[in-house]
Amino acid sequence: MSKKIFRSIIAVATVVLLASLFIASSFLYDFFNKSQVTQLKEELSLVAANVDKSGTEYFDNFDSSVFRFTLVSAEGTVLYDSQANARDMENHLEREEIAEALKKGKGSSARYSSTLTERTFYEAIRLKNGDVLRISVSQVTVGALIIGMLPAISAIILISSVVAFLLSHKMANDIVKPLNELDLENPSKNETYEELAPILTKLNKQHKQITKQVQELRQKSDEFEQITASMNEGLVLLDKKGIVLSINAAAKMLFSADETAVGRDFLTLDRSIDMSHAVEKALGGKRAEFREERNGREYQFVINRTESDGKTVGIVILCFDVTETAFAERNRKEFTANVSHELKTPLQSIIGSAELLENGLVKPEDTKRFVGNIKNEATRLVSLINDIIRLSQLDEDLEPATEAVDLYDVANEVVEELNVSATKKQVELHLHGESCIMNGIRRYLYEIIYNLCDNAIRYNKEGGKVTVDLKNKNGSIILSVSDTGIGIPAEHQSRIFERFYRVDKSHSKETGGTGLGLSIVKHAVVYHRGTIKLDSKIGKGTTVTIEF
Amino acid sequence: MRSRFDEQLSLLNKKMIGMGAECESIIALSAKALLEGNVANARKVKEQGHTIDQMEREIEAICLKLLLQQQPVAKDLRVISAALKMITDMERIGDQAEDIAEIITFLNGKTGEECHDIRLMAEATIKMVTDSIDAYVNQDLKLAKSVFDHDDIVDDAFDRVKQTLIKLIAENTANGEYALDLLMIAKYFERIGDHAVNIAEWVEFSVTGIHKGE
Repeated sequence: MSKKIFRSIIAVATVVLLASLFIASSFLYDFFNKSQVTQLKEELSLVAANVDKSGTEYFDNFDSSVFRFTLVSAEGTVLYDSQANARDMENHLEREEIAEALKKGKGSSARYSSTLTERTFYEAIRLKNGDVLRISVSQVTVGALIIGMLPAISAIILISSVVAFLLSHKMANDIVKPLNELDLENPSKNETYEELAPILTKLNKQHKQITKQVQELRQKSDEFEQITASMNEGLVLLDKKGIVLSINAAAKMLFSADETAVGRDFLTLDRSIDMSHAVEKALGGKRAEFREERNGREYQFVINRTESDGKTVGIVILCFDVTETAFAERNRKEFTANVSHELKTPLQSIIGSAELLENGLVKPEDTKRFVGNIKNEATRLVSLINDIIRLSQLDEDLEPATEAVDLYDVANEVVEELNVSATKKQVELHLHGESCIMNGIRRYLYEIIYNLCDNAIRYNKEGGKVTVDLKNKNGSIILSVSDTGIGIPAEHQSRIFERFYRVDKSHSKETGGTGLGLSIVKHAVVYHRGTIKLDSKIGKGTTVTIEF
Repeated sequence: MRSRFDEQLSLLNKKMIGMGAECESIIALSAKALLEGNVANARKVKEQGHTIDQMEREIEAICLKLLLQQQPVAKDLRVISAALKMITDMERIGDQAEDIAEIITFLNGKTGEECHDIRLMAEATIKMVTDSIDAYVNQDLKLAKSVFDHDDIVDDAFDRVKQTLIKLIAENTANGEYALDLLMIAKYFERIGDHAVNIAEWVEFSVTGIHKGE
């Protein structure tokens, strides 16, 4: 801007300078001409008066370096010339000024020289004796004058341009200075040209608006940051080239990344082939989802693109830890399969027997056995369904009222009830220990002891022993059920508390049982915030210790 | 001009990481096929080997294009020439994983469980390849050096495998063919370890400009 102002000032100055030079010189030249003609006339009349008085002798001691005098007779013959020999000169009668003077008494004319560099003014007057006296002066023309004045003009132009340059430079800077010194952070506080006021007001308004918006954005990004930081799920944002824009704490853990991950290619964090394919698919506009193991846990990755105006602007990667869910899913599938199998087997047996009876294929003496069979299977079904109902009650966490229960009483009750079956299997069942009172649900606690003792008897050898022991220790109650039975192989020990899990895969009916007993025990113990410990050796026996 | 160059370099980097991931996956797959005696997995290895070959050619083309069109100098030149060398090693890893998978199809579902060290070798080589690719991705000299050290574990395990297999044949000569197959597999794992070391050396070269072999 200051350059433009500077250029304009220089241009104006140049135009003014040249115009004034031209006008002034043409006025001066005109004035100069007029005054010269006047002077010429005065000189002529002065000399004419003298010549009238003293004749041509006057010229003898006349010094005329400036003017040229010529005396011409009435016939046109040159009588005298102050700068040339009169005798060599031609007849002057034809000359304009002389002819005019002879006629009117006075004459004048001006003529250019042949080179045009000089202009000569002539003035003539008729003397009393009839002769004509002429005076003339030569003068340089405008062109020659200008050429002659060129050095002076150039000097003037040079000096004035330097002055103009300096002045206009300073002026331009002075004009622009307030603009340069505008405080754009606080537009309303400036005192400057009033022409700028509307712009500054607008600027002020926009400034405020922008500050507000930036603040809002920052607040939003802070909120986003806080939400993502406290998220358990991993969240990674990528731009459309796959560069990481943001990564939250959970995702950093998952991809073992740190702060430097932002700005790097996501491939440097995770180069799994499935992941690259999923990201590519998401860039193509399709949601991608896959499960993969990372650091020993199972994760579900959901990859989606983010859009703005229908264009892909980036990728969002969400990572869920689904280890527990996957485990539960597997368990549920297994449970469903098991339940169906367990329910179907007795039913098949019942249907088979019933069909035989229906078709009269059973001998009368066998009828009783078949009906007994049907009854046994039906009983098994009922006990199975009862077990499932109990389990689902425990699952649902229905909270029956708790009461003070003496475990010793409960155990005693169990021992009395199971004595019959123990005797049948020729197993000795003993109860040791002391009265242990705890807060709990009597029915559940009964189930725990019943199921443990039932198993201990069921999977025992003939002549084996089952011992229930109860004691108080450091404020907690320790219940242990040990047997001298067949024991549980080590590889099965971690799974026996699962529903329907059986060490003996054939699910043989030989020993009976539904496969749900230990599962019920586990649930009931967990319900009472207890812990179970299993200690078993094949062929030697098993001890289950529960601590409340 | 430079930005286009940078773009091409980052594309090269991406492709290299992608090829590294394929290598990791292919040896993990062939090791899994061995441990599970799974012939179906062994077949998958072959397909993946094909992908690796294609990626090698693709990366080669990118490198040559960069060299011809951009005439890189100093570090850029090192990175590109190291990439050219590394893809050869990666391609060899892919080939050897394929070879392992091919032998597995002859084992008739046997899993080499007589020879515990072969499993150890598989795990160790997978770790070496993963580490060498990680070293490339993060330009991590320390990790690259750890790959060199890890090679000793593989070499020691290979010696032990030989001893075990000699015993296996001595016990029963009928085991001869099986033992030789296992020996081949062990040798391939050992070679894969060497290639991982090569990759780590080229990573070191591309960072420092000094190659260990010098």
